[in-house]
Amino acid sequence: MKINLKVNGILEEVEVDASAVLLDVLRDKLHLTGTKEGCREGECGACTVLIDGQPVDSCLYSAAAAANAEIETVEGISANGLSAIQKAMVEEGGIQCGFCTPGIVMTLTALLRQNADPTPQDVAVALNGNICRCTGYSRIVSATLKAAKNAMAQKAGDAHA
Amino acid sequence: MPEVIGRSVPRADGPGKVTGQTLYTADIEHKGMLHAAILRSPVPAGKIVRLNVDKARQMPGVKAVVTAADVPNVRAGWALFDTPMFARDEVLFEGEPIAAVAATTLAQSRAAVAAIELEIQEIPPVGDIDMALAAGARLIHPKLAQYGSVPGIVFNREGNVACKYAYEEPGVDEAFARADRIIEDTYDFGRQYQGYLEPKGTVVQYRDGRYTVQSGHQYVFNLRDRLAQFLQIKPSDVRVQGMAIGGGFGGKLDFGPEPYAAVLAKATGKPVKLIFSREEDLLAATVREGARVRVRSALDKDGNIIGREFFTDHDNGAYSGELILMAGLALMFCRGVYRTGPIRTQFRLIYTNTSPTGAYRGVSGVPMISAIECHMDHIARELGVDPRAYRLAHTLNNNEKLPNGQMLHDAAILMEAYAEIEKIAPWEEMKRTKKPLEGVAIGSTVWLTNPLPASATVKLNEDGSAHVLSGTCDIGTGAMAQGVVGIVAQTLGLDPANVHVVQPDTDVAAYDGGSQGSRTTRAVGRAAEHAAIEVRQKVLDAAAPLMQTEAARLTLSGGKIHDIEDPGKAIGLTDILMMGAFASGPIVGTGKHAEQPIPFDPGCAAGLAFPTLPTPTYHVHMAKVAVCPMTGNVEVKRYIVAQEVGKALNPQGISGQIQGGVAQGIGYALHEGLRVKDGRYMERSLEAYRLPLAVDIPEVEAIILEHPADEGPFGAKGTAEPPIVLAPAVIHNAIYDAIGVPLNSIPLTPENILEALERRKSA
Repeated sequence: MKINLKVNGILEEVEVDASAVLLDVLRDKLHLTGTKEGCREGECGACTVLIDGQPVDSCLYSAAAAANAEIETVEGISANGLSAIQKAMVEEGGIQCGFCTPGIVMTLTALLRQNADPTPQDVAVALNGNICRCTGYSRIVSATLKAAKNAMAQKAGDAHA
Repeated sequence: MPEVIGRSVPRADGPGKVTGQTLYTADIEHKGMLHAAILRSPVPAGKIVRLNVDKARQMPGVKAVVTAADVPNVRAGWALFDTPMFARDEVLFEGEPIAAVAATTLAQSRAAVAAIELEIQEIPPVGDIDMALAAGARLIHPKLAQYGSVPGIVFNREGNVACKYAYEEPGVDEAFARADRIIEDTYDFGRQYQGYLEPKGTVVQYRDGRYTVQSGHQYVFNLRDRLAQFLQIKPSDVRVQGMAIGGGFGGKLDFGPEPYAAVLAKATGKPVKLIFSREEDLLAATVREGARVRVRSALDKDGNIIGREFFTDHDNGAYSGELILMAGLALMFCRGVYRTGPIRTQFRLIYTNTSPTGAYRGVSGVPMISAIECHMDHIARELGVDPRAYRLAHTLNNNEKLPNGQMLHDAAILMEAYAEIEKIAPWEEMKRTKKPLEGVAIGSTVWLTNPLPASATVKLNEDGSAHVLSGTCDIGTGAMAQGVVGIVAQTLGLDPANVHVVQPDTDVAAYDGGSQGSRTTRAVGRAAEHAAIEVRQKVLDAAAPLMQTEAARLTLSGGKIHDIEDPGKAIGLTDILMMGAFASGPIVGTGKHAEQPIPFDPGCAAGLAFPTLPTPTYHVHMAKVAVCPMTGNVEVKRYIVAQEVGKALNPQGISGQIQGGVAQGIGYALHEGLRVKDGRYMERSLEAYRLPLAVDIPEVEAIILEHPADEGPFGAKGTAEPPIVLAPAVIHNAIYDAIGVPLNSIPLTPENILEALERRKSA
């Protein structure tokens, strides 16, 4: 079947099986390989993308069900250079092997849009769907708090200007 | 130019990873690439009665189906050559490869795997080490004595024991005979899955009579050699190109999907991609071995340990990997870092009809050190003394010896580590402020840095940037992306942003021992430092005639060559490279590193793969936990590490290793256990095998101790492996402190803890 997917603001027409999951369409048809497959069972969160702003496991999400929604992948949020959370992840050392990183970046992007000033506990709870085996999480949490702080400072600066 | 060494410079590969641009194995596409799948044994033990692939070969899209009949009839291995590529007549574990298929799509290759006709006559599995050691047990490898092995290492093998090592000092029985009391413990350790986020995968091409293998792999030269063994070709007929690696932790040191993809690539003439599913990865992962450790101490009336017995049995699974090299750890760790009288120690690695086990961060040392640390707490409690005070009274000092005869010149660092923790978490206060069902514990150990040799080449580019070529990867630790980049940048006076690490490639790099055992920063770093020093000298030699002076008067920093005696006189590095390179030739340096042998007692340690602990480092960990009496869950409320690193090249990278290693140790202490029943894993997915989440792990407080080592780059020692080594025992002992009844297994799941709380009620 042919479906229309709006990925990172670009409308794409793709031919898919009715049973295709979004992850495979993103990686194999649209060559957006920044989204990773870690388990294909909805546990690890490496495949997290945003659908209408909400983080989902694209390995379990029907591609057809994503038609007409706004789909965002790590490539989309990197289009204009590093976002605040990406920059903070690099600076704070919230990255080791990097395989979980795109998924975590997407989850935290959604969190920071919904909660501009999260607590460490808010961040940890938001990450319940993302496993990082390398870092032990604390630098990811501190990166998120730093990104939030930087964004708030930026906003305050903009308001004064 | 600010100093690079000692500063938390962000990792060079961060932007690529955070944007998803970094290329991992699964992201590779080649023209005409096929997709492969493996048929694995559905049972732990049996005879293959019928295997027919004719129907599978006729399936749509199928380009090749291969079995044992299509590959050399050989056994291969890291050290003991006991492993066939495909099961031939018999299967020895659930998940053992039987056939492999390549097809146009993955769905087609999986459909073809399902169409292979396989009939196995099941045999009751030798499912655990007790069954394997029982009198009259069925032999898993009846031809064990005939298997080849690497030269220079002694493997005593018999029955279902792949490797046995035993040693005793005189006087053990006398010590037990005159003991005031004897304390004995037996601890059972579960299997722990590395749980790297990237399942194993590879893409292999066969062209011009050679194999090109692309894999995220920790040890590309080991992989090259294993392929050569299986395929009966020269190692140089295999080229392994390392890709970015999505975690490994020891699990990606040996072969995985590569030999199967290689055979299919040759059979089809096409590139073949083989990526394990998560279940397949878990079934075939060489996980941390299950183990049983029995430790027995003879104490005199003052509580001194006057004799020690230490018997450690490890589950090899059906075939041998790296563990067979670990026998010597039973000698080095049987006393822990404490004084004891004479020791009697024994290591056995035992075959079972289960998935082969292997290296996982802290390989084989984790159960041994955990047993010692748990036993130390038990002794202290039996004696009615404080476990910390008991440790302090018996901890090794400078210039005391391990049982292998190796002198620990700097063991007093342990006392410093205790003192540093005491400053931020005074022990008496920690004990006094405990609430009911809260517990605290502290423990200590020595750990090693892997001593395999290293090489590196530094190439200075015409724009003043540098590339570092080596045979190892950055497994995620930052050892290359922060450590080696920093070492080269500092040595050449470059901005770290202008130092680039090249992925390992066995065709390009000289031999290297891979990313394992905390060795990369130290060994590859030292090799890269030597290479960079050579580059620096060549730059100064090329600059001298242009500056009409002598090279000895010149220095290189901030992208310029300066005349020490005439500070106004300087010339840009790029100018030298443009002009001088015509005269001097392109500027390249090479370096190598090999650890100096450590003296040991050949009477006990000769023939061991690791007769000593190279580059010892020292560690003290403290934990505070709270046990929930309703659920049996344990909350880790506080965790503190004091760790000797030699020199902290990049404090951010080091604290990241400490945090991450402790998180894996907490997971193992509390819930990560692959249970084996009748030879099969009960946990077969990440839903069932739960890895720690952000909500489970506290922020680890890391105290970095620095005692620079002459032989390390800028004094660095290995860092990444040891944070996991103490965490399971320290958490275990904190739970013991919280509930006051002895516990004898790791992990301690909520079920174990509720059962212990029941025992406490009835006691």
